[in-house]
Amino acid sequence: MTIEARFPRRETLRDGRFWLLCAIVLLLAASFGLPSFRSKANGVDLLVVVDITGSMNTRDYSESGHPVSRLEHVKASLRAILPDLPCPARVGLAIFTERQPFLLFEPIDVCGAFAPVDGAIAGLDWRMAWEGDSHIASGLYRAIDMAHEVNADLVFFTDGQEAPPLPASGGPEFTGERGAVKGLIVGTGGFALSPIPKFDAEGREIGFYGVNDVPHENRFGPPPADAEQREGYNPRNAPFGSAAAAGTEHLSSVREPYLKALGDKTGLGFIRLEDPPALLKAILAEARPHPVERERPLRPFALGLALILLVALYGVPPLWNRLKQLRADRFSTLAIWRKSRA
Amino acid sequence: MSLSFADPQLLWLTPLAALPLLGGVLRRSAFPSLASVPVDGLSRLISLALTFTAVATIGSTALALAGPRRGGELVEKIGDGAETALLIDRSGSMNETFAGRPPEGGEESKANAARRVLQDYVRRRQHDRFGVVGFSTSPIRMLPLTDKMDAVLGAVAAIDRPGLDYTDIGRGLATALSLLSEDAGQSSRVLLLVSDGAAVIDPKVQQTLRTTFARTRVNLYWLFLRTANSTGISDTPKPGEDTPQAMPERHLDIFFKSLKIPYKAFEVENPGAVEAAVAEIGRLETHPIVYRERLPTEDLTGFFAALALLSSLALVAAKIFEAGLFTSSLPLGLPEAARPSRRRAA
Repeated sequence: MTIEARFPRRETLRDGRFWLLCAIVLLLAASFGLPSFRSKANGVDLLVVVDITGSMNTRDYSESGHPVSRLEHVKASLRAILPDLPCPARVGLAIFTERQPFLLFEPIDVCGAFAPVDGAIAGLDWRMAWEGDSHIASGLYRAIDMAHEVNADLVFFTDGQEAPPLPASGGPEFTGERGAVKGLIVGTGGFALSPIPKFDAEGREIGFYGVNDVPHENRFGPPPADAEQREGYNPRNAPFGSAAAAGTEHLSSVREPYLKALGDKTGLGFIRLEDPPALLKAILAEARPHPVERERPLRPFALGLALILLVALYGVPPLWNRLKQLRADRFSTLAIWRKSRA
Repeated sequence: MSLSFADPQLLWLTPLAALPLLGGVLRRSAFPSLASVPVDGLSRLISLALTFTAVATIGSTALALAGPRRGGELVEKIGDGAETALLIDRSGSMNETFAGRPPEGGEESKANAARRVLQDYVRRRQHDRFGVVGFSTSPIRMLPLTDKMDAVLGAVAAIDRPGLDYTDIGRGLATALSLLSEDAGQSSRVLLLVSDGAAVIDPKVQQTLRTTFARTRVNLYWLFLRTANSTGISDTPKPGEDTPQAMPERHLDIFFKSLKIPYKAFEVENPGAVEAAVAEIGRLETHPIVYRERLPTEDLTGFFAALALLSSLALVAAKIFEAGLFTSSLPLGLPEAARPSRRRAA
């Protein structure tokens, strides 16, 4: 005797797994028809300016136990963070010596053209310098103008050592609008004084700068206020005193207070370069939010939800049964054990 | 043909496809002993098929999540093109007009003209690889050889910014040559020198350049942007003035000719002539070059999602037509018949 039954059976309709399966089918079907939604992502626009003057050759960083120069460390750090910049990441590159930055290329999207940007950073060399002076403040102000022109945030790598030293009257004044260009000054170098390598005309290293190789005082402009107390002071013939200036300008360390002051004056942030992750964090913290609308398809969400439900459907019951079984086994073992004791 | 994934790390989810092997989605029925049920081949088959369908559903959903796609390989093709090093004079005088004045009004400086014309040239040379070197007091590698046109245009766009001091053409040439020789390909190599003047090349550097030119095998073009009233390539020397110091352009030309490599100089005195010269270089440089092109990719997410949808539909169908040992039509749930159910045990 057979009973003509209708499908689905009532038990099926009462079975949660049936409805779970239906939900999965709906989700999978929906994954074909879902529209994209627009989300905002933050890209970055950076103008990276790297100081390539002589003091940047000072070897006071170490990488895997070897001393490396500041310039090499800057290059390695930049190349390390390049892949981690959020897309679209437009990066322009400029080098700085004397008193102006020299633009190598205008900002280009690293996400689309990684190899040339990476290669250009790797190719940075102190030999590209067209002059030995480094008037950091002037260079920074012009770099700020340049960043404004190419509509990017500034990342300025320098050790802050003005060569020749600033005159007693102080450095040039910043005439731009404070904070109009956002960005970061990255101080490079150690806190201890280190010798600066010296090179001959052919580019071969020939030792270090000695105390007599560099000027220690800038004698342009009016003399400092304490000049009258100096030995051999004469208002007309020796306004800076008669003794040669002594100092430590032939040695180099990161001039952090000076760079911080420059940052305050111009509205830029400051960080001392240590490891790449900290640099990346600081850059992203200082960079202007640069929202880019991105179309993001909803399909992965539908598919992901379907997968979660599928795993719940097929994974949870066996797990549940196994747990129940284990408990039952334990109880029965307990019961047998008790019985045996009794 | 190759399969790749947009998010390969999501492939770690595919082992979840083994979950259905632990049990199915059908109801279990208590039955005293399976031994009392005759073996039924069809039931076995259907049970296996359902397990397999469930595996396929989870598997293809996980694969679809990983963003599978086909294609995208690099293929080598042959077209017209070259590896070109742009060697660009960045001395301060490039920012003046052809008349030797700072540009005023709508006037175009030599650097402006060079930038505009080179940008056009780069855009038209789809298959070329370009590198850019600037030179003034020292040579500056601006961009390594690349086929990314955006990057090349970015570097060319930077050449009309304020220039630097002097013109050290010898070291500039050496740098551009080293840029070209880094790539050991068989394609034709072009060195395009854009300058508004020349300088004396140190004899020692001349010797090095000679050997490097011979080794690198390049076609050399010199786009000489001549300023009015300045010395040029084709000037006839006055007696006693035919020295590299007095007439550096003429002597650079003589040096280039003595290299015995394909060489052509274009002496241009206005922006229009720059365009004509660059167009001629474009015509001359039609050598075969092997370039790589990426095949278009085809997104296979839809395919795998459809597969998951079909197999999940089959599972729903199985669930809909699920019977039980005890049909609900009998209020007491008594065994109606002892025939084996197709969906006896999941």
